[in-house]
Amino acid sequence: MNQSVKMKWAAGPAISITRRYGLAVVSVAAALGLSLAFIHFQLPQPFGAFALSAIALTFWYAGTAPGIFAAVLSSIVRDYFFDPGISTESRILFDLVFLIFALLMTRVVRERNQLELRVAERTAELTQLNDNLKREIAKHSQIEAELRLSEAYLAEAQRLSHTGSWAWSPPPGDIRYWSEECFRVQGFDPKGGLPRYEEFFQSVHPDDQARITEVIQTAVRKKEEFEFDYRIVHPDGEIRDARSFGHPVLDASGDLIEYVGTIIDVTERKQAEKERERLREAQADLAHISRMTTMGELTASLAHEVNQPITAAVNGASTCVRWLTREDPDLGEAREAAQGVIRNAKRASDIINRIRSISKKGESKRQLADVNELIREMIALLRSEANRYSISVRTELDAELPKVMADSVQVQQVLMNLIMNGIDAMKNVDRERELAICSQRAENRLLMISVSDSGVGLPPDQEDKIFDPFFTTKPHGIGMGLRISRSIVESHGGRLWASDNSPRGATFRFTLPSPAEVGA
Amino acid sequence: MSCHKENKLIAIVDDDDSVRGTLQELLRSAGFSSRAFESAEAFLGSGHQQEAACLITDIRMPGMSGLELQAKLNAERCRIPTIFITAHGDEEMRFQALREGAVEFLPKPFDDEVLIETIRAALNR
Repeated sequence: MNQSVKMKWAAGPAISITRRYGLAVVSVAAALGLSLAFIHFQLPQPFGAFALSAIALTFWYAGTAPGIFAAVLSSIVRDYFFDPGISTESRILFDLVFLIFALLMTRVVRERNQLELRVAERTAELTQLNDNLKREIAKHSQIEAELRLSEAYLAEAQRLSHTGSWAWSPPPGDIRYWSEECFRVQGFDPKGGLPRYEEFFQSVHPDDQARITEVIQTAVRKKEEFEFDYRIVHPDGEIRDARSFGHPVLDASGDLIEYVGTIIDVTERKQAEKERERLREAQADLAHISRMTTMGELTASLAHEVNQPITAAVNGASTCVRWLTREDPDLGEAREAAQGVIRNAKRASDIINRIRSISKKGESKRQLADVNELIREMIALLRSEANRYSISVRTELDAELPKVMADSVQVQQVLMNLIMNGIDAMKNVDRERELAICSQRAENRLLMISVSDSGVGLPPDQEDKIFDPFFTTKPHGIGMGLRISRSIVESHGGRLWASDNSPRGATFRFTLPSPAEVGA
Repeated sequence: MSCHKENKLIAIVDDDDSVRGTLQELLRSAGFSSRAFESAEAFLGSGHQQEAACLITDIRMPGMSGLELQAKLNAERCRIPTIFITAHGDEEMRFQALREGAVEFLPKPFDDEVLIETIRAALNR
């Protein structure tokens, strides 16, 4: 752009060469005409002044060469029309005046040209600066729009997650930043501007103030992160649960500049936790009632189961007394019999403890458990019940079975329900009655336990309904056993399902996950 | 088929190991010799039913019950004096057992003197 401006001015005014020289001729002719008119009206002869004007005009508008041409032309015209008899010295003087004037005009025109060039250059520069500025402004407003959008998204995310963000320069320090959500969570009016630290503190529940002061002071002293739960008292008296987290920002020399962090409203989350806890308790109560109901049905069999070792103990004690009261007492035999008494009394006590632990209502306790052992214990308790209906019990237990993290009593409750259902299904069938209990490893670190019977099978067309609450085929059943069993298995991360056996009976299977870090 | 009681062997049938074992010990301390079987089927399969002078059996067992065993022996004309020991003191069963010729029906746990007196009475029939 600059280049073309320069070229334009170097070439002189952008008019044709004919016009430029024409201007010289016309302007000198005009000077001649005016002078002749002046003479006609008897006025003083002014050709010199007119000729200088013509030369100046030509220089200004047509450039240097036509200007010089006008000067020469003026000199010739003057010599020809005015004072033809003037002395050579006078003529030279006139010509000299025209020449000097022409040179002067040459300089003036050059100066003018340079000035105009500079103005054009400056104008071009300014135009470009202006364009750049406009582009810059456009870019900035786009960035600003993007920032506004991103800030809106962030504010929305904060609102949705009830998480506010803040910056605070300790101590005693001012709050430097306090996001919109912070105002909402803490119960402050956004119109009040950035809250002071004391205002924040006053909105904390009085019982929590001392504790969080301690936490913050310790963190500031050690330049460490802090995290605490606290309660907020809103202006309307509502109490909210919140959690705050702060991260220290240090400068290059390790000095604390400020803390940045978050405030999260956890009221709903805590409420949901409480609800879940209540639900767990209700489920535990129901499971307990169900266990007690089943144990009630088993009273006769359990009594028999306890009676066996007691009978054995009484036998042993009688034997012992007999060896001692013989005419020739045999202490060795007596001791052996007495040891049998101890063994059997312990066995009776073990059975009673087992019954008691199943009947006990307690909190759910998860610990490493050997499923095979749980199966064996349950079979021991239910053996008399199976005998009562001439049912033989067969087990296929995988000796390499890994342990599971489980509530033993609850898993035994599931086993008890399934075994009792199996016995129930076989009570009235006129063929071989066999209950098979198997444990094995399945895919994905799962254990699978199955309880199969050769009974009546699942109720036709109601395979899915057996897990519904209050569904029962027994005259005295409450229909919660399978329902509770399924919820117990699922709460352990497993699954419980049923299928018909071919040609008869049903199989109930459930899975339990074994923790990765626990070996077999 | 008939069986001959040539000696005084007492047969014990009970599915519970410790009851079976301690009963055998008790009889030994009282001077009786006995053989114990974990099921009615095992007893019938052993061939010892022909030697048994007295049978002490539980009623409720997996597989064949004590009453079924008694019926089976009666059917084989092998009338061994039988003493039932059971934890289920079911009166109906008691009558059925006695009707079929049972000597006694003792609820567990039983008094050793009563048992031994009953055995003696059975052996002297």
